[in-house]
Amino acid sequence: MPVFNDFFGQFGGRFVAEVLRAPLEELENAFITAMGDPNFLNELAQIQKEYIGRPTPLLPARNASKLLGGAQIYIKLEGLANTGAHKINNAVGQVLLARRMGKTRIIAETGAGQHGVATAAVCAKFGLPCRIYMGEVDIRRQRPNVFLMELYGAEVVSVKSGSQTLKDAVNEALRDWSGSFPDTHYLLGSALGPSPFPDMVREFQAVIGREVAQQTQDLNVAAMIACVGGGSNSIGFFEPFLDKPRPRLIGVEAGGRGPGHGQNAVRMSGEGRPGIVQGYKSFFLLDDDGQVMDTHSVSAGLDYAGIGPQLAALGQTGRIEFTSASDTEVLDAVKFFARHEGVVFALESAHAGAVALKLAPTLPRDQALIVNMSGRGDKDIFISAKYINPEPWFQFLKDEVQRHES
Amino acid sequence: MKVNLMAHLVAGYPNQKASQEAARALARGGATYLEVQFPFSDPSADGPAIQAACTQALEAGFKVAKGWELVSGFRQEFPSIRVFVMSYASIVVARGVEAFVAEAARQGVGLIIPDLIPGADEGLFEAGRAAGVPIVPVIVPTVSPTRLKELLALKPEWVYTAIRTGITGVHTTLTPDLEFFLSGLHAQTKVLAGFGIDSPDQVRALAPRAHAVVVGSAFVRTLSQAWKEDLPEDKRLQLVSQRLTAQARSLSEV
Repeated sequence: MPVFNDFFGQFGGRFVAEVLRAPLEELENAFITAMGDPNFLNELAQIQKEYIGRPTPLLPARNASKLLGGAQIYIKLEGLANTGAHKINNAVGQVLLARRMGKTRIIAETGAGQHGVATAAVCAKFGLPCRIYMGEVDIRRQRPNVFLMELYGAEVVSVKSGSQTLKDAVNEALRDWSGSFPDTHYLLGSALGPSPFPDMVREFQAVIGREVAQQTQDLNVAAMIACVGGGSNSIGFFEPFLDKPRPRLIGVEAGGRGPGHGQNAVRMSGEGRPGIVQGYKSFFLLDDDGQVMDTHSVSAGLDYAGIGPQLAALGQTGRIEFTSASDTEVLDAVKFFARHEGVVFALESAHAGAVALKLAPTLPRDQALIVNMSGRGDKDIFISAKYINPEPWFQFLKDEVQRHES
Repeated sequence: MKVNLMAHLVAGYPNQKASQEAARALARGGATYLEVQFPFSDPSADGPAIQAACTQALEAGFKVAKGWELVSGFRQEFPSIRVFVMSYASIVVARGVEAFVAEAARQGVGLIIPDLIPGADEGLFEAGRAAGVPIVPVIVPTVSPTRLKELLALKPEWVYTAIRTGITGVHTTLTPDLEFFLSGLHAQTKVLAGFGIDSPDQVRALAPRAHAVVVGSAFVRTLSQAWKEDLPEDKRLQLVSQRLTAQARSLSEV
């Protein structure tokens, strides 16, 4: 696959206001040149090793596989990457690119906060000032990540417009960039937005899939499973296999509370329709007028109405199968893998884990199932604790406030 | 001096009736053009005042069909005032570009869609040409000469230009760069120029270099302030109307 595609079938493209046309062209050129420059790629590889902690391990989940009695489950521990999720792969790549372009300031959007944390950390390492836009609702539910971003020295701006989630943070970052592009790089974290972002994010995340290809050489891989919000972890995880007929590639969307408007974030296997929003053409949850509908997911990172254009295209051709997992199934999967494998999935990644739990028993024992744990679940403690064991958790919060006030 | 004023308004803000009244008030205040924005849930090219107005209009039940109703009523009452509908790609492609353009043709209005630009327009400019609907390209002062040539090759009757910087201070003057940019454009097409214009001084500075001056957020702020007054609804509507007419007059006769 070429490094730069722009369109994927009918999806993708660059549907932006005139003011952003020139900066996106500049970015496209810089990206294509950098990806052909051995110096750039060597420096990237060195930072991946020294700072991110790559390669991340592939864990044979032996207890889980035995209990489920079917295919052998393997977990790609992306959550062991520095800052706790795959997001840092892309943040490092884009910061190196921004530095090459002579940009002196970084802005980014964040949903769950993982992309914001990764961006803030990399900016701290490279000494770049950094501003992160985050929806007010997401700030409330992912407070620990806000604390971390600020600890890294980033300025976190609360976005109070619209639904106050990821899409509104993207709007705000685009607004900032429209006035600041001469010296600022917009470090988009999902495999979506106007071109060249979907191509760029895939290339910087493809390191996940390339490691998996190495690590699974001796396995009979039946399927690979990843969660899909915007799609950065899944497209990177699937990348080396997209042009091949096997293995099965399964994308898991946020099933939320179940069917119904505003209850989930299921675009491909639900009520999504083609549209153009936030600079790209893809599948979105839209009403008849083209207004973006509200979404819900227990995981902030999947709570978004659009999907990366390449994933939408691959869903249409059938190369990627889409399914969904509900909030309840996700929390059960978090508990299951914690108890039996000593691994705590992020709520986003646990969508993939939940589908593995259903799929493994239906497959023969000599086949392997690879699950991408794109992030670890430390950041979710304020959400998962109140679902999994509410009473002691609320008591702890009350005591903590009392200690603070006395 | 009488200036061509393009008055901008968010359809359905703060509700359908009040926005219809606002459109009339702006016409009575001397607007030459009316720009009716159809609210979109994610208006990333708009500033905070207009974005908030769009959110509120959607909460108050705005639908695209109601936007067309507003336009149609206004066109019947003020047939001499040219109307442009401004919205975003998502709204235009939802029922198909051709269908949206056909509706614009029926209503006799032009279109301004900032995120469907020539070269990435889903056929909008061609559909407009075929249906006789003017599609107004948005041009920014940072545009490259090559790109400008490309845009003007479409022979648009109007172009819209968003001037983010270059107009400041009490005694407003244009920076030499901006003056040069606008003069070049002015000679070739009808320039609708604006962004953050709210004082007669700014209008006086801009008017000689543009076909019309666009005022948007300033009217939205006036409307939202008047709408907050603790008055019965009919009195509030009256107040909205009076204030908008007065403001439009102060910006069209400077």
